[in-house]
Amino acid sequence: MAGGDDTMELHVWKGDWGLPSVDPNCLAVLAYCKFSGVPLDVKVTGNPWRSPTGELPNLRHNEVSETKVHNIFSYLRKQNWGSDFELSTKQCADVVAFSSMLEEKLLPALLHLWWIDGRTYVDFTRPWYTRMIPFPLNFFVPGRKQKAASLRVFLTKGGENITDSDVETKIYKEAKECLNLLSYKLGDQDFMFGRQPSSLDALVFGYLAPILKAPLPSNQLQTHLRQCDNLCNMCNKILQQFFPPNRAELEEKRRREEAARRAGVPMDDTEFPNKRRNMILAAVFAVTAMVGYAFMSGLINFQMLDYAPSGPQQSADKNNSSESGSKPNPPDFSASGFDPMFEEQNTESGE
Amino acid sequence: MAGDTGSLVVDAFQAELGASEPWPDDVVLYQQYQAEQITFPDYANCLSVKTFLYMCGLDFRVEVRTNAEEMSPSGKVPFIHVGAFLVSELDPIIAFVNSRGFQLTAKLADAERSEMRAYMAMIENILVNAELYLITKPRYGCPYPWPLSSILPLRKQSEIQARLASNSWKDKTLSEVCEEVRTCCQALSERLDQQKYFFGDKPTELDALVFGHLFTLLTTSLPEGHFAEIIQQFSNLTAFCKRIDEQYFKQN
Repeated sequence: MAGGDDTMELHVWKGDWGLPSVDPNCLAVLAYCKFSGVPLDVKVTGNPWRSPTGELPNLRHNEVSETKVHNIFSYLRKQNWGSDFELSTKQCADVVAFSSMLEEKLLPALLHLWWIDGRTYVDFTRPWYTRMIPFPLNFFVPGRKQKAASLRVFLTKGGENITDSDVETKIYKEAKECLNLLSYKLGDQDFMFGRQPSSLDALVFGYLAPILKAPLPSNQLQTHLRQCDNLCNMCNKILQQFFPPNRAELEEKRRREEAARRAGVPMDDTEFPNKRRNMILAAVFAVTAMVGYAFMSGLINFQMLDYAPSGPQQSADKNNSSESGSKPNPPDFSASGFDPMFEEQNTESGE
Repeated sequence: MAGDTGSLVVDAFQAELGASEPWPDDVVLYQQYQAEQITFPDYANCLSVKTFLYMCGLDFRVEVRTNAEEMSPSGKVPFIHVGAFLVSELDPIIAFVNSRGFQLTAKLADAERSEMRAYMAMIENILVNAELYLITKPRYGCPYPWPLSSILPLRKQSEIQARLASNSWKDKTLSEVCEEVRTCCQALSERLDQQKYFFGDKPTELDALVFGHLFTLLTTSLPEGHFAEIIQQFSNLTAFCKRIDEQYFKQN
C-alpha cells in the first residue's frame, strides 16, 4: 500500500471551502508536513474507519501507524523531519505551552461551535458529515462525534452547579481571550517565531483556518478572529504558500460554478450531485414496498388460471365477454397472469 | 446584583461594579480538610490561590469545611468570600482581585502576558490531568460517616474517570503520563532559567500556580507515579519552590 520506503501515507478528512481538510488535527499535520517537506502521499477520505483507531489523521510509514497529532509530530521528528530544529530551547518550551493553551482554551469553543450549538449542528455540521461519510457509517459517526464533543466540553469545563449556558459563555470568553493572546504573541512577525514556520504555527493554522473559512450560520469566533488581522494574514499566507490550489481542482470548481450559473439552479443542487438519481431510487423503492405490502395483505391477489388449449379457453372467453360486455375478444396474455391489475378486475368481476 | 452568584462563576466582570470598595478585613477562603479529605489537584489549587493572595499582600482567613465543595458557587474549591461576593477557582479570583486594583502583571508587555497565560494553561492541561490520573480514592470519604464514606469517593472517582476519558487521558499508560509531566517540567525549567521568578524579579500569577502544583507534588508521597522524582531532576524548579515557601509561608 505505502508508496516507497520514504513516502509516508497520510489519511485525512476531506476538505471544503478552499481548505485541504476541515479537521483541525488533519490540517495541523498537513501543515507540519508541508513546512518540513516530508514526501507525502495524502489520501483524502470521508471514511474514518480507514484508520485502525477510527480517528483521522492517520500516518502510515513502514508498518508504523500513528493517529494522534502529538504522536505524529514526534514520529516525524524521530525520522528527522521537523520544522522546529532551529528553535532555541526556550522557544521549544513556548511551543509546549502555547499548544497546551490551544487545547485547553480554544478547542472547547471550537467543539461547541461545530457540534453542540444546536442550529449549526443540525443545519451545517451534520449534513456536511453525512454527505462526506460513506453510506452505512454516515448514520452514526456524526452522532458519535457529537457525543464525544459534548462530553469533552461539559466534563472538563462544567461542574455540578454550573448551567450549560454558563459553560457556553465561559468557553467562548476563554477562546476569544486565547485568540487575543495568540495575536499578541504573533505581533507583526511572519510566523510565531520569526520567519520560519514551526510546529506551533501548524497547530494554530489547524485551529484557525476552519474558523476563518467555514460558512457556519453563526460564528462569533469568526467575527472575533477577523479583528485580529495578523492571525488572519498568517492563515491566508500559509494557505497560499503551502497549499496552492492545484489546477485540476480550480478547473473543476470553475466548471461547476459555470454549469450552475448556466442552469440557473442554486448552489444547493451542486452540493447534492446525485439528487435526481436518489429521487428516482426513492420512488422506485416506495412503489415496490407499497405493491409488496398490497400483495402480502391480500389487497391484490394473483390467480393462476390454467387453460386447456381448446375447451376451457372458449368457456373463459365466453364468460369474459358475457360479463364485461365491452370487450368482445380479449387478448390471450391476459389469462396468463401477466397484468395484475387486469387479473384483479377479472377475479372481482368473476365474483 | 450580589445575589446573582451563579454568573459570577463565569464572569468576574460584574464584580467590577464594586471595584471602588477597598479590600475588606473579613475575607474568608474556604477549603476542605487539608490532610484528610481534599483531593490532590484541589489541594494544589488551594495552595495556588493562597500563594497568589499572599503575593498581592492581601489578608484573608482560611476556613475548613467538609462541605466546601457544595458551598462553592461552581462546585469547585477553593472559593473566597469577599463582602457580597463569592468567587471560586483561580482564574476568576485573579480577575476579581485585579478588578480591585491589585495587579501583579501590570508591568508585563502584551507578548509576555500571553506567554504567561500559555504557561498557566499548560499547567492546567498537563499537571492537573496528571494529578487526576492518580486518584486518591480512600482519602476523599474520610470525614463522612459510614455509608457516605464509601459512596462519595466512588462517585468522585467515576466523575474523574469520565472526565479523563473525555479528553483521552484515560488511555495513557503511567509511563506516558510521567513523560508528559517531564515535558511540562522541562518547559517550565527552560522558561524559569536562573531568574528569581518566571518574569524577572516580580512574582506573577504563573509563579503562584506553578508553586501550588509543584510544591504539592514534591511534598506528597504517592504510591505510584514518581512525579516528585521527575521534578527533583530540575534543580531550578525545586529551588524556586523552596524560595517561595520560605518567603510567603514561613513568615505568615
